[in-house]
Amino acid sequence: MDDQALRESLHRAGYIADEGLATTLWLASELQRPLLLEGDAGVGKTALALALAQCQGRRLVRLQCHEGLDLAQAAYEWNYGRQLLAIRLHETTTERVAESDLFSRDYLLERPLLTAISSEQPCVLLIDEIDRADEAFEAFLLEVLADYQITVPELGTLTARHVPLVLLTSNGTRELSDALRRRCLYHWLDYPTLAREIAIVRSTLPTAESALVEQAVAFVQRLRREDLGKTPGVAETLDWIRALHRLQMKALPDDPQALMATLGCLLKTREDRFQVGPERVRQLIEGRRVVGVAEKAATA
Amino acid sequence: MQNAIASPLESIAGFATLLRDHGLKVGIAEQQAFVRAALLMPVERAARLDAAWRAIACQDARDWRRWPELFERYWHPNRLKGGVRVSGQTRPQRDLRQVVQTLQESLGDSTPRREPSSRALHTTLDTALDVPGHELAESGTPRAQGGASCAEALHDRSLAEWLPQDLTQLDQLAERIARRLRERLTRRWRDHARGTRLDVRRTLRASLKTGGLPLAPVWRRPRREKPRVFILVDVSRSMETHAQLFLRIARAFVLAVGARVFVFHTRLAEITPLLQRDSATVQEKVNAVTAGFGGGTRIATSLADFHGVHARAQLNRSARVWVLSDGFDADEPERLAEELAAVRRRGAQVTWFHPSENRPASAAMQAALPLIARFVRLNSLRDLALAADVLH
Repeated sequence: MDDQALRESLHRAGYIADEGLATTLWLASELQRPLLLEGDAGVGKTALALALAQCQGRRLVRLQCHEGLDLAQAAYEWNYGRQLLAIRLHETTTERVAESDLFSRDYLLERPLLTAISSEQPCVLLIDEIDRADEAFEAFLLEVLADYQITVPELGTLTARHVPLVLLTSNGTRELSDALRRRCLYHWLDYPTLAREIAIVRSTLPTAESALVEQAVAFVQRLRREDLGKTPGVAETLDWIRALHRLQMKALPDDPQALMATLGCLLKTREDRFQVGPERVRQLIEGRRVVGVAEKAATA
Repeated sequence: MQNAIASPLESIAGFATLLRDHGLKVGIAEQQAFVRAALLMPVERAARLDAAWRAIACQDARDWRRWPELFERYWHPNRLKGGVRVSGQTRPQRDLRQVVQTLQESLGDSTPRREPSSRALHTTLDTALDVPGHELAESGTPRAQGGASCAEALHDRSLAEWLPQDLTQLDQLAERIARRLRERLTRRWRDHARGTRLDVRRTLRASLKTGGLPLAPVWRRPRREKPRVFILVDVSRSMETHAQLFLRIARAFVLAVGARVFVFHTRLAEITPLLQRDSATVQEKVNAVTAGFGGGTRIATSLADFHGVHARAQLNRSARVWVLSDGFDADEPERLAEELAAVRRRGAQVTWFHPSENRPASAAMQAALPLIARFVRLNSLRDLALAADVLH
């Protein structure tokens, strides 16, 4: 599948990717390299993995990273309870249980990384928010990402039957190590352009009025140029337009007061709510921007 | 015209040199990946190599933003405005489509999507990379077009002469300094696989699933913390030419180590929240904060406000106070020593950064000399790089 075909199949799965992203995904698949996706929250990093798995008919294995994530939660763990039970059961019989029997795959609990490595079918492995995990865990990942294998001391090295397509996402809350970055291809997911965002909303909310979608997306695009603490992402745009659609709106109202109650979908901090008052909302609806103390009409 | 076309591998190696000159980490492995991507890409879609190579060469958002300009400069210099043409000098022609086609013909066995054998790739790449670096630079970097860019020159350039894009190097330096800051032990404990103390409660809790056998003991060790950094930037009239760039340095440390930043001349104000996000209006906001301060510099008064009000609860033996000032104080000379002594009594270490060649020699500074751990000259990137060795 070339990059154009991949882009189209992603489109069918509900993800509107630009050409650059499609090329990067195609390259990651061809070179069998993991892809590190960075970008602000809400630009569609996780959604890309879901759509990719869906369009390629692969299983999605997801590892959600957090502080304190360790090997037992991410890769594998021995099923101690079952091992003890096996020992007790053998105590009632005359035959002795061999140590190698206790440390076999039967007693190994697979966690996401091992699940992806030992999957019978090709899968998509999503390592979400890698920046939230500790540096020690990042170092452990190097073996998995470089050679697609996991070493279990009692069993040996388990190598992937099918190389999974690995996507790592990061919000940049912590600087990732150079070693990890060098093993990955990199893509910065930016906020979508006006046309792409309209296409995304239309594909997700096909029943919303066309005028409403265009005006609301243009409003959000203008809002992103404001000096906000938390810039609204695509997820926020979708939430907001969904809310407006539920309120039976056919287009953005002229009266900003009618919108104020719904702005909670877009503005997530107190400072941002304070900054974007009714007057500013009116200017954003009309497409005016403030330059110094003067207002300028929007250019066509 | 045909003889002016450089070989594809040389072109790619030259491009890699240009990328390295601009701080991108492009080694042999990345160049091999460039070639592999070019071999996989159908000739008619050669333009898509831009996105493919970008994914290979870039490792963070900074590289990502810089890429389009570097790519255009190397592969499509004619499209760039403001380039300088040197008459009589030939510029090697670079055509991506031709590079892909020639590569696929020479390495790909005429099947464009075939993976080349890695040994063949190594040999050919090594031959290409045998070309001395300076020759590549001459053919590949914009020197031939008159747009000189030399890392060493930037290194020595005074802060006041920096261009905005040069400041990205500052961020890297700040991160390096942040990593070198010595961690201190605290009285709190945290889980650690190589800890020295057994956490009995959690070990017993974990043993429940193994029938009471503590197979997975939980260990703890004292928590280590990076020192807390406070940066005080003098924005008085005498520091006008330096203040803006000192603020940029301060911003780099806000991002790298979570420093708290204050500005002062007659009064003190905290500006950390303004520096935490990248905004075009930061400078305007800082100006707005300091607009009503009036002339003169009252370092001692500002320091009193700093340790008595703003940093009262956080000044301890792991605190680092970095003052960026020329040391000209309008307060009584002995007051500066008194206030610095108050900061020292809390255990904090004071470092004084001065833009001048010699350390500040005002009367106030003379009295305060024993209370300042070190003086550091700060007027160029080299100064900051040298300071990295003494800041810990």
